[in-house]
Amino acid sequence: MIKINLKKDEIIISGHAFYEESGKDIVCASVSTLAIATINAIIRFDSEAIKYEEKNGLDIKILKNTKETKILIDNMIALLEELEQDYPKNIKIYREV
Amino acid sequence: MELLKLNIQLFAHKKGQGSTKNGRDSESKRLGAKAADGEFVTGGSIIYRQRGTKIYPGVNVGIGKDDTLYAKISGVVRFERVGRDKKQASVYPED
Repeated sequence: MIKINLKKDEIIISGHAFYEESGKDIVCASVSTLAIATINAIIRFDSEAIKYEEKNGLDIKILKNTKETKILIDNMIALLEELEQDYPKNIKIYREV
Repeated sequence: MELLKLNIQLFAHKKGQGSTKNGRDSESKRLGAKAADGEFVTGGSIIYRQRGTKIYPGVNVGIGKDDTLYAKISGVVRFERVGRDKKQASVYPED
C-alpha cells in the first residue's frame, strides 16, 4: 500500500501500491506521475520553492509557499484523494495538519 | 533542484520484492523410522515416529498416544506386511 503523509510543509510518499507487479501497476503509475509532474512544475516556476529526496519513495519539502506552489500541491492532493477513493486497498492518505 | 525523471513505476514493487503470503513452515518433527529392519533394540526404544498409523504395532511393540511405536522388550526389529496394504513393526527376542 502506498502511504501518503501530509504534514504542514512536507509530503512523504512511501510504500508500494501492490496493485500489480512492476510494469503493470497502474495505481503506482498514477501516483508516480502525479507526484513527479507536480514537483517538476513547481521547480519550473521556482527551483527554490521545493526540495525533494528519493529515499524509500519521495520526501517533498515545501520551502516557499508561492501561489503557484500552493495551487499545484493542492491539485496533487485532490487527485491523490480521488485515487484513494477508487483504490482504497492500494493508497492511504494520512493528514498530520 | 533538478527536474525529476518521470519513473511511472516509482511506487511499484519489483517481482520477488515486497510482501508474499507464503514463506512459513512449521518445525520439522523428524518423523519416520528410528530403527531399521533387523536391528537389535532395547526394551522401550522408539522404533517409528508417525502421525496416524502408517505402520501398526505388531508383536512386542506398543503404540504411544502420538502413534509412536516402541519396543516392549529387547530384541530384533522386523517390519512385516499385513494383508494387502498394511505394515506392522514387531520385535522378536534374539535366540
